Amino acid sequence: MRLYWLAYAAIFALTILSFYGLINFGDEGLDTSLLQDSYFYAILGFTLKQALLSALFSVGIAIPIARALYFLPALHFKKLFLTFCLLCFVTPTLIVITGLVALLGRSGLLTPPLNAALSSFTESTWNLYGLSGILIAHIFMNMPLAVRIIYLQLQTIPDNSWKLASQLKLSKGQCFRIVEWPVLKSSSVLLLCFIFVLCFNSFAVVLALGGGPQSTTLEVAIYQALKYDFNIPEALTLAWTQLIVAGGLYWLITRAGGVSWQSIESSQYNWRPNQSSSARFWFTSLYGFAWLVLLLPYLSLLPGLFDSDLSSKDLKAIGRSALISIGLAAIAACLAMTLAFALLRPVRQAALKAQSKRVWLYESLATHALVAPAMVLSVGLFVYLLPRIDLDRWGIIFVVLLNTALVIPFAVQKLKPRLLQFDQQYDRLARSLKLTQQVRWKIEWPFIKEIYLATMGLVLVLAMGDVAIFSIFGSTDWTTLPWLIYGYASSYRIAEASAASFLLLMLCALFLFFLEKLSSRSAVRKQPIESSQPYKGETHA
Amino acid sequence: MKKLFSLLAACGLATSAHAADLTVYTYDSFVSEWGPGPQLEAAFEESCQCDLAFIAVDDGVSILNRLRIEKDKTKADVLLGLDDSLTEVTRRESLVQPHGIALNGLKAELQWQDQDFVPYDYGFFSFVYNTNKVKQPVTSLKALINSNAPVIYQDPRTSTPGQGLMLWVKAVYGDDSANAWKQLASHTVTVTKGWWEAYSMFLEGDADYVLSYNTSPAYHVVTEEKTQYKAAAFSEGHVAQIEVAAISKYAKNPELAKQFLNFLISPQAQSIIPTANWMLPVVDNIELPEVFDELIQPKRIGFTPKQIATQRKSWIREWRSTAN
Repeated sequence: MRLYWLAYAAIFALTILSFYGLINFGDEGLDTSLLQDSYFYAILGFTLKQALLSALFSVGIAIPIARALYFLPALHFKKLFLTFCLLCFVTPTLIVITGLVALLGRSGLLTPPLNAALSSFTESTWNLYGLSGILIAHIFMNMPLAVRIIYLQLQTIPDNSWKLASQLKLSKGQCFRIVEWPVLKSSSVLLLCFIFVLCFNSFAVVLALGGGPQSTTLEVAIYQALKYDFNIPEALTLAWTQLIVAGGLYWLITRAGGVSWQSIESSQYNWRPNQSSSARFWFTSLYGFAWLVLLLPYLSLLPGLFDSDLSSKDLKAIGRSALISIGLAAIAACLAMTLAFALLRPVRQAALKAQSKRVWLYESLATHALVAPAMVLSVGLFVYLLPRIDLDRWGIIFVVLLNTALVIPFAVQKLKPRLLQFDQQYDRLARSLKLTQQVRWKIEWPFIKEIYLATMGLVLVLAMGDVAIFSIFGSTDWTTLPWLIYGYASSYRIAEASAASFLLLMLCALFLFFLEKLSSRSAVRKQPIESSQPYKGETHA
Repeated sequence: MKKLFSLLAACGLATSAHAADLTVYTYDSFVSEWGPGPQLEAAFEESCQCDLAFIAVDDGVSILNRLRIEKDKTKADVLLGLDDSLTEVTRRESLVQPHGIALNGLKAELQWQDQDFVPYDYGFFSFVYNTNKVKQPVTSLKALINSNAPVIYQDPRTSTPGQGLMLWVKAVYGDDSANAWKQLASHTVTVTKGWWEAYSMFLEGDADYVLSYNTSPAYHVVTEEKTQYKAAAFSEGHVAQIEVAAISKYAKNPELAKQFLNFLISPQAQSIIPTANWMLPVVDNIELPEVFDELIQPKRIGFTPKQIATQRKSWIREWRSTAN
């Protein structure tokens, strides 16, 4: 048996034990009466609607911004912008919600001008809460990620395509259709699926900004069934529904569409068609506008920060839990990267043999945690383990393990293109030279290092924001920063909570910027010739 | 895996692992640094010359769920932090045993006779407002629901105050509750998952009224010296939340557990709890900061734990189909 199958066994053991724990404990099977309840269809409908709209808007808005970045290579702070995009994606939801309420809530900074603008053509006033709030939050978190990925995809358009297009005197519309769209199509579809699944499973945003029971998602219903009613049959029915609908849609589209994150070309092209001055103007304004929109929710947090008057005891508590958070997230990130690497082995082998069905199958298996309801995974495992292991003592290990499981899909998806590209370029050579594993690794590591580090930053920060798992497995001895924030907030100490949130955000930003910096520096060192191009050294999403 | 465990244990990773004389299950904020847990622990350990350990879970409901899963394998001697809406379910699943404590010293208002559960603090669900913003607060639940003042409350499916409002509406409106929910929905800003999301949105100025406790203003006065937050007194009366403790059916040391429950309603513990947990003491004549005397003292209305246990599901169904 190959070692990498152990990785598959490990991640599946976690999922299977969770479901087994719940099924075995409930001993009652599924609650099919739920399928006759109109409430069930109402929440399913709403879940689908908000996820679909969030995905469409996120990708729809991202395309023009990504084009602006692409067509104007000399924009200022472009690299910073791209890292900032990643920060928006990984910012813990509780910070996003606070920021949006401070900005767009009833007493929000932007609300008076918005109302003034609205009053000229409608009676109603601006209201953040409801579908609009959910969409704004989802777009704020996911659109920037889409910008990054689409931008990198655009960079794979060969110079020749543009040269040919200009010789043929194609119009702007034709250029978009013939030159850009074929490159964008598959990543856009994949992004739509990806964002759809993330929003389908959304929980905190929906509850905070939803405005009432009409905005309920399946994940919320699962939470209620499991936690407040301890109704395991109902929770399982909802969980299977979620797994089948979200998973089914995701896998069907990725399968039927034959799309995948395209492998990144090693050579990047630097020829861009000339832009008219009006186009330049529009692209630059769009870029500036994007900066503004993404910065505002963060800036609106600042006034609240100056209210806080931290005691030295608070500072100690915050510092301690920050260190714990970093430590736990770092372990989870290392584990996730190692496992993702192992999980990708069969995918790479299948890809080398051009077995596309197998590639899809292995990849789906490796990323299955993306569509499994997180609540069910953690509660199921808890139910299974509690009578068997002293969780008050060992719970923290499962906090790390479950966080690892939940970030693996992100690691797999980001690592995959680069590894496949390596195989494409060097596998044959390595085989014909009969290189040993060790030597082969010496070649492989510099090739993937850049992406490896950037991915590690991403999963580290994702794991650092966890509260859901900690709330079940964690203990007060190991209070993490996000948990401390909840602790403060749930005992009236909103100012301390906002100070701690700010620190969490800073830590997230620091890790992202640091690891991206590190990885792009290594890229420059390894590929000195290419790095002379002005927009080379960009990390890949 | 075993190897990993022993390795970690060798590294001294495991803390508070030894078995204490008395193990108390409670919720997180109770044992946080600023909660009453640490002070209570010190005081009780001194009087009993024993070792007390808290095991904290997410919230009150999680204590119950954990017991349901552990059954006879539980470590708990005492359960601390369930509330009156959960007592009946806990009893039905036979997870507790009679405490055998005479409860005549409790405040008469509580009308507490339960032989399994001992109350240790309570509060009235109330709508809190900012006097700088709302000059003439509403004086009844009906007036609030018929007004168009922006309101934030919590989801009855996921939070105890939310459930409290559900009982409140049911107690005031009875069979007409569906209409009341519709009316309230027309000026509801949002319904949040938990108490603090709602409360912090209120502090940000997103609503005139937020569902909280009659004791909330005390926090702002004592800790922040802010006097503008007040709870509105409603003429129909208010629903109370009574937090309770009980002896686990599987307690290894029921005598010590009983001693702890007795300690909880002693003047010493009762004067610690109010300013750390921000709830009211369950016995009279406890010396508290002045602001506690200025809090509203509403008439208590509501349902018995039995009624809640049987009706809760159908009431929630009514809420979720009408509060749109």
